[in-house]
Amino acid sequence: METPEVIKISDVHKTFRVADRASDSIRDTIFNLGSKGQLHTIKALQDINLSIKKGEFVGLIGHNGSGKSTLMKVILGAMRPDKGGIIQTQGKIILLSLGLGFDPNLTARENIYVNGSLLGLSFKQIGQKFHEIIAFAELEDFVDTKVKYYSKGMRTRLAFGVGIHAETDILMIDEFFGGVGDINFKKKSDAVFKDQLLAGKTIIYASHQMEPLKKYADWVVLLHEGKEVTRGKTEEVLPVYEELMKKRAKERRELREAKK
Amino acid sequence: MLNQLLKPVLERLPENNWLERLWILAKVDFWKRYYNSRLGVVWAFINPLMRFVIYFFFFTYIYENRIPEFGFYLFSGLIFWMFFSEGTVGAINVYNSKRYLLESIQINKFDLNLASAFSSLFGFLFNFTAYFLIQIAFGPPITWNALFIPILMINMFIIILGLGALLATLNIYLKDIAHVWDIVMLAGFFTHPIFFTIEMIEGVIPIAKYLSPMVGILFNSREVLVYGRLPDMGLLVYDLLYALVIVGIGIFVSRKYSHKVLEKI
Repeated sequence: METPEVIKISDVHKTFRVADRASDSIRDTIFNLGSKGQLHTIKALQDINLSIKKGEFVGLIGHNGSGKSTLMKVILGAMRPDKGGIIQTQGKIILLSLGLGFDPNLTARENIYVNGSLLGLSFKQIGQKFHEIIAFAELEDFVDTKVKYYSKGMRTRLAFGVGIHAETDILMIDEFFGGVGDINFKKKSDAVFKDQLLAGKTIIYASHQMEPLKKYADWVVLLHEGKEVTRGKTEEVLPVYEELMKKRAKERRELREAKK
Repeated sequence: MLNQLLKPVLERLPENNWLERLWILAKVDFWKRYYNSRLGVVWAFINPLMRFVIYFFFFTYIYENRIPEFGFYLFSGLIFWMFFSEGTVGAINVYNSKRYLLESIQINKFDLNLASAFSSLFGFLFNFTAYFLIQIAFGPPITWNALFIPILMINMFIIILGLGALLATLNIYLKDIAHVWDIVMLAGFFTHPIFFTIEMIEGVIPIAKYLSPMVGILFNSREVLVYGRLPDMGLLVYDLLYALVIVGIGIFVSRKYSHKVLEKI
């Protein structure tokens, strides 16, 4: 039996139009009628095609601003691609990125219920998962504390707990573990990734940290300025990425010197 | 408190994830509005009462009027108007305040609009309960015609939902819509029959009751509640149809334009 496809995207382009003086108030709209300001077109994604099967662990790499986050938001459906692009996903998706997903003025309990409910779980199901999530996040003593008083590490653990226990099918992780989490949490997330592969969750993982990708990714995609450069096994793509980063650093250096 | 009141109702309903979702979103919204303060939800009673005292003092002693049962006329008008203005004002920022969810989970934005409208409805129910008890104790007798109140309430809910979806979507593109709407609400307060009668505004704007659905709703709410009479049926139907048009426009605009929410805010 063939593994079913859970994410299929084709011909996806995403362009942002940003004016230097964006008119987002009525005053600006009136005063900017004549002069539009400098209009920048940012091509955040260009001709992206992906087909991801159930249970695959796919890595996204590329420098800051290469389009990784935009791609994830497009897959989530939070942003619409330009005309013609097709996004098809199957199952429940959650996108975990640093500091997001929770209302800081609500407690962990309330946030878990809001998130779980929006992910399609019934209160009963959330009630059953609740202790697993709290235990995973090691937040037993802070269940009814507002999330704004949490440390970065606590929030990360809570979000990760919700992401893996709330019966999601597709887990997208965007620079999530950057600089947070002690050794114990790293061990824990390592264990999760190993088990997750068995549990059949599909994972898209964007990171600058190559360790998890080397260990778990089935394949990775390298993005550069919104375009796909190459894809393949991590060890094959990694040298290309490092080459690209060196080239980029050199270009920046030259640009700086030219300006002087 | 709200939990205890509605729990028996919720437990009897069949397990419905969508209803639960609306419930938790509305509850959280409502909590944030009242529970961050020391007196909490008691404010839902105190606020309209204090407003009433202030306006009553002014319109009885300083600016006299001859409206029968003026106290209850004014008080009921105030809580209906507060439902409308707080409901629409609260809806403006709903996509912004739920950005954290929009960025991480697939959700139907209309659920957010619905939850915001429900949250205002909870507030109104508290206010209305306070009003109703006071009228039973001290006011003109309540007749069976008061059973029209739920219809008027649903009518307002639909209007708030529609305007809310519209305003929330506009707020993505024009951030000062909140200021504009503030002024609109102030204008509304002085052009709707809240502390004067429908005849008085019709003397200035003869078609007032056809321009704004709130004119007819305010008029009918007093007819059935304060004076115990039957409502103006033509106006009742007109306002319901008006509400459906508003909610239609709201849903259309929100479906078509709200997808840019993460790009603009």
